[in-house]
Amino acid sequence: MRRALLLVGSPKAGPSTSGALGAYLLDRLAEHGVQAETRRVAEVLRDPAGLGELAGAVDRSNLFVVSFPLYVDSLPAPVVRCFEGLAAVWGARAGGRPRFAAVVNCRFPEASQCDTALAICRRFAAETGLSWAGGLALGGGGAVGGRPLDRAGGRVRNVRTALDQAGAALARGEAVPERAVHLMAKPLVPRWLYLLIGNLHWTCAARRHGAFRRLHDRPYA
Amino acid sequence: MAAAEAYVLDGTRDGDEAAGAVVGALLARLGQAGWRAEAVRLRDVEIAPCLGCFGCWTNTPGRCVIDDGAGEITRRAIGSGLLVYATPVVFGGYASPLKHALDRMICLVSPFFQVVDGEVHHRLRYPRYPRLLGVGAAEGEDGERDRLFETLVRRNALNLHAGRWAAGVVRTDEPGDRREARLDQLLQDVGRAP
Repeated sequence: MRRALLLVGSPKAGPSTSGALGAYLLDRLAEHGVQAETRRVAEVLRDPAGLGELAGAVDRSNLFVVSFPLYVDSLPAPVVRCFEGLAAVWGARAGGRPRFAAVVNCRFPEASQCDTALAICRRFAAETGLSWAGGLALGGGGAVGGRPLDRAGGRVRNVRTALDQAGAALARGEAVPERAVHLMAKPLVPRWLYLLIGNLHWTCAARRHGAFRRLHDRPYA
Repeated sequence: MAAAEAYVLDGTRDGDEAAGAVVGALLARLGQAGWRAEAVRLRDVEIAPCLGCFGCWTNTPGRCVIDDGAGEITRRAIGSGLLVYATPVVFGGYASPLKHALDRMICLVSPFFQVVDGEVHHRLRYPRYPRLLGVGAAEGEDGERDRLFETLVRRNALNLHAGRWAAGVVRTDEPGDRREARLDQLLQDVGRAP
């Protein structure tokens, strides 16, 4: 039986876009006979033995997938901490480790803003002996909003198709196909509309929290 | 006139002795270059992970909803003339102590979007932002690693509206005088102390 391990890198306690993207990919892998398991980064780090257990779970799998939101042009700190911990447990670079793929989502409409984060993932693979199987980047991740992709509507049709293709390829032992990368990176809505909706969203959220008049505060000035 | 402050975010982890030596040399060179340098060793500060709740934009605008050591670091960072990221290079990026602090500093920009050079970024919150210097410490020659680190700092400078920035990797296996020369070059690239 082939095994896949998903590490969800969102620090959110509840539903997250990273979790939704990862879960959809795992479902596709399961359709191709891959047994899948999910770990959440916060749970791994909360447990003193968590990093050692994660390293063992990765070594027992054929495919390791990390799905995370872009934080400050890079990986969220807890994911960096997990990568540091895995590298420390594994020690010097060695071959024979499973394949590794990454799924990144960001709130900017341009998926290309995730390029640096994907390059760091590729570098992590190279330095720890994982076999890089490619990455997918999604811009405008707010459109998913943490909902399961099956219930996120037609706007995420390309996202689903990209993950269908990636899941099939990864299950066959292949890398994430280029056509999946391009589909995933296609803007979900025109940029002008994204900006309009995005800026309106922040205004409405601040109103809900009674902070509308303080939106432009400079507490450290 | 008092010297302008350089605020150094020391991202070294326990056991990062070689990178710690680079941070020490950096502080000395900053002083030589006319900066009043102060460092915070981030691994000694309690900083919870950013929860991605965006409360710092919509609940308590400009301030994170978590009350811990990150608040003071954020205040010092925006008030400095030069913000320095000093870190071991980890997979081409920052070590986790520095990344924890940076994740908590998104309150320094506005949630609202604007287009800069054809890309969407967040608008300014403050009228003035510090210059940004990224100093990575790593062993051996590795052009790909160094370029990735510099790209990350450049992207951060763009998102943090740093008017001027510089970045580079200082090799921990090089003699002290070579490292100092490299640091001096980076300080020259980021501009003289005002």
